[in-house]
Amino acid sequence: MNGARRWPVCLGGIGLVTLLTLVSPDGLLAQEISRSYGDFPLIGSRAAVWIAAQVHLLFAAFVLGVPMFAVVAEAIGIFGKDRKYDKLAKEFTRLLLVAYSATAIWGAVLSFLLVTLYPRLWVYLTQIFAPSMWVYAGLFFLESFTLYLYYYGWDRWAEGRAKMMHWGLGIMLNVFGTIVMFIANSWLTFMMSPPADVTPDTSPDMVQFWSAFANATWMPINIHRMIANVVFGGAIVGAYAAYRFLTAETDEERAHYDWMGYVGNLIAIGALIVLPFAGYYLGREIYEFSPGMGQTLMGGFMSWLWIIQAFLIGVLFLAGNYYLWVGMGRIPGAERFTPYTKYMLVVLVAGVIVWATPHTMIASRAEIAAMGGTYHPFLGVLGVMSAKNTAVNIMILTTFLSFLLYRRANKEPVVEWAKTGTMIQGVLFVVCAGIVIFYGIYGYFVTAIVRIGFSVYQVLAVIATIFSVLAIDIAIGRGAKSRGAIRWGQMPERSQYALFILAVTFTWLMGLMGYARSGIRQHWHVWEVVRDTSEFAATPALGYASQIISVCVLIFFGLVAFIFWVGGLAEKPVLSGVGSEGGD
Amino acid sequence: MWQTNLKVLAVVLGTLAVFTIVSSSIPQLQSVVPEDLSFSGDVTAEVLVAAGQTLFEGAGGCADCHGSGTRAPNLLADEAGTGLIGVRCASRVAGQDCKAYLYASLVDPNAYLVEGYVPIMADMSRTLSSEQLWALVAYLQSLGGEVTVTGADIESEGSGESTGAAVPASAAAAGPTSTSTDPVEIMTANACLACHIMDGAGAPIGPSFDGIGGRLSADYIRESILDPRAGASEGFGALIQLMPATFGEQLSAAQLEAIVQFLTDRR
Repeated sequence: MNGARRWPVCLGGIGLVTLLTLVSPDGLLAQEISRSYGDFPLIGSRAAVWIAAQVHLLFAAFVLGVPMFAVVAEAIGIFGKDRKYDKLAKEFTRLLLVAYSATAIWGAVLSFLLVTLYPRLWVYLTQIFAPSMWVYAGLFFLESFTLYLYYYGWDRWAEGRAKMMHWGLGIMLNVFGTIVMFIANSWLTFMMSPPADVTPDTSPDMVQFWSAFANATWMPINIHRMIANVVFGGAIVGAYAAYRFLTAETDEERAHYDWMGYVGNLIAIGALIVLPFAGYYLGREIYEFSPGMGQTLMGGFMSWLWIIQAFLIGVLFLAGNYYLWVGMGRIPGAERFTPYTKYMLVVLVAGVIVWATPHTMIASRAEIAAMGGTYHPFLGVLGVMSAKNTAVNIMILTTFLSFLLYRRANKEPVVEWAKTGTMIQGVLFVVCAGIVIFYGIYGYFVTAIVRIGFSVYQVLAVIATIFSVLAIDIAIGRGAKSRGAIRWGQMPERSQYALFILAVTFTWLMGLMGYARSGIRQHWHVWEVVRDTSEFAATPALGYASQIISVCVLIFFGLVAFIFWVGGLAEKPVLSGVGSEGGD
Repeated sequence: MWQTNLKVLAVVLGTLAVFTIVSSSIPQLQSVVPEDLSFSGDVTAEVLVAAGQTLFEGAGGCADCHGSGTRAPNLLADEAGTGLIGVRCASRVAGQDCKAYLYASLVDPNAYLVEGYVPIMADMSRTLSSEQLWALVAYLQSLGGEVTVTGADIESEGSGESTGAAVPASAAAAGPTSTSTDPVEIMTANACLACHIMDGAGAPIGPSFDGIGGRLSADYIRESILDPRAGASEGFGALIQLMPATFGEQLSAAQLEAIVQFLTDRR
C-alpha cells in the first residue's frame, strides 16, 4: 500500500526531471523547433492543457493548504495538551499522501502536454526559467520525503523532544511546499506580467532571470494563493468529513467526523474572510502593471465574470452560515439565539443581491437605449463599489456574528462583568456597521479616488471589530459554566450536504478565477511579448469556460473520492473521541 | 451506503449544473484576436475606416473605455460639449492637426491625457501594427471629420520615415466635413446614424429619423440640432448627453436648413 502510494510521486518527479533534461538549453533548445503547436484529438490542445493545469492545481492547492492547518492543529495538540487535535492533524496528513500522488501525476501530464502541444512556448519559458525548474524538481523530492517522514513518523516520535522534532518536520513540509508554489507561480505570473524591458524582439537568453522571476504580479499571486489554499484545504477536509459522517456506522465515528467537518468549515470560512483583501491587492497590482489588462478584467469582456463570482461567494456565505445555524441544534442553550437567524439570513440575502448587481457592462447600442444610459436606471445605484463594499463588509460581519453566537451557545459566563462585556460587544457591532454604512453612503458624493480610500476604512473597521469582539468573548468565556456538552454527531444529515456544496463551490470558484487570471492575457502567451497564433488564441466566453471548469471539478472530485476510498480500505483512522469528551 | 453515495453525487452534479447553467445564461462575450491588416498604397478611406471601426469595437478593446465616457473620453459621441472626436481632435494641441494628434495619442497616450481622466491607457503600438494604428486614426477622423489618412502614411510609417507628431500635416482641420448641402451626405459625414435609425440603418440611441416629420415640427428639429439639451424627446432624456452640441458652429445655415427640411419631410 505505502509503496503503491509512493510510486506516482516518484514517477511524477522522474517525469519532470526527464522533461527538463529533454528541453534543457543543451537539449531541445539547441534544436530548431519546427512547429509552434501540436494537435489534441476531440477537445483541442487548449482544453487539454486547461484541464490538466486546472486539475493539477486543485490537487496542488489541497496538498499545500492542508499541511498549514495540520501543523497548527498539531501545535494545539502539543501546547494545549489536547490529544484530539493531534489525532485530527494526523488524519489531515493521511489525506495528503494520496492527494500528493495525484498532484504529481497531473503535474507530469501537464508538463507532457505543454511540451507536445505548445513546444515553442515551452522552449521559450525554459530558456528563461531553466535554473528555477531544476530547483523546483529538487524541492519536490525534499517535500515528498519530508511528508513521508512526517506521516510515518507520527507514532514513533510522539513524545517529548522527538515530538517537537516531528512538529519541526511539519513546518519544513510547509516551507518546502510554499517555495515550490512560489517557483511555479513565477512562471505563470511572468506570462501575465513580464518585465517592461522584455519585448517581442528580446531574445529569451537576454532576459534577466530575477526580474522575470520576481515580476509585478508574483508576490500578490503568492499571497492570494496561500490564503486560497487554506480555504480550499478546509473545504475539502470538510467534505471528506461530511462523507465519513454520512457513512459512519458508530456514534463515536459520527461524532469524530462531525467535529472534523466543523473544524474544516471553520478554517475555510475563516480564511475566506481574509481572501478578498488579498484579491484587492492582486487586482491593484494588475492595474499598476497594465491598466489595459485591468480594464479587460473588470470592465471589458470579462465583466460578467464578477457577477458569477458574487453569486458563488453568496452561495459560500449562505451555505457556511446555514451549517453553523443547523449545528446550533446540537448545542444545549443555543435555542435562545435561534430567533435571530432569520434576520441574519435576510441581511445575507440582501448583501448577495447588492453584490451581484452589475456595474459597468459592455452593452450594445440597443441595450444602452433600452436602459436609458450606460447604467441601469434603478439597479445602477447598487452596482457601484460603494454599495458592493458595504454589502460584503456587512455580510462578513453577519457571518462573524453567526460564529460568535455558535461559540457562545452553551456557555454561561461567570465573570462579573459579563453583561457589560456583552453590551460592549453589541455596541462594537453597531458602531462598526454604522461606519461601514456611513462610508458606503458618503462614497456616492465623492470622487472615485476618494471613494477607493473609503473601502480601507470599512475593512479596517470590520477587522478591528472582529478581533476586539473575539478578545472580549474569550475573556468573558474564561471559567464559564457549560449549559451542556456539544452533542457531536447529533447533526441533521442535511447540514453535511451544505459542506459538499461548500467544497464544490470553492473548487468551482478556483476554476473560475483561474480562467480570469489566465484569460486576461487574451491572445498572448506572454503578455505583449509572445503572441498566441494558434486557432485557440481568443479567450473563450464564460459559457464554454464554465463547462470546462465543471469537467475539471468532476474529475477532481471523482479522483478524490476514489483515492480516499482506496485509502480507507487499507487503513482506519484513529478517532479523536470527541463524542465521549464533549469537546467544544 | 449506495443511497448516500447517490445523494452526494446528486448534490455535486446539481451544484455544478446550476453554476454551468447560470454562467451559460448571461451574455457570452469572448475576446477577439486582432486581424492582421495589410494595405496597398492606394487604399481608400472607406476601407481604412471600416477596418478601424472593426478594431475599435472589437479586438482593439477601445470601446471598453472610450465607449461609455466614464473611464476615458467618449470617442463615439460628444465629449463635454466639444463635439465628436473627428471635430475636436484638430483643436486639442496647438499646431498639431487631427491626424497627427490622434496618432500621437495612440502611441504616447499619457502625454495627451485629457483633463479629468487618469493615465490608464497603454502605448497601443506595443500591441497593434502600424496598419492597425492608422486604421484606427482613420475611423476616429470619420466620426465627424474628414478622413485624411492615406496609404502613404502607412508606407512612411512602415519604412520608419515618420511617426506621431511628424505625420505630414493635413490640409483638413476641424469643422464641417464638407460644403455639400446634400442632407444625406452631411448626416453621413457627421455620423448621425451612430445614434439615429434611418431606413433600417443606424442605432436606436436617439429618436428614429423614420417618420420624424410626422412627430416633430421643423422648429423643434432645428432647436434639437442646435441645442440638444434644451428639450430631449420623450424617452431619451438620459441619453441626451451623447448628442454633440456643436453643430451650430460646424454646419452652415444652408446645411442646417437642408437637414431640417429633409427630416421634416420624412413623415
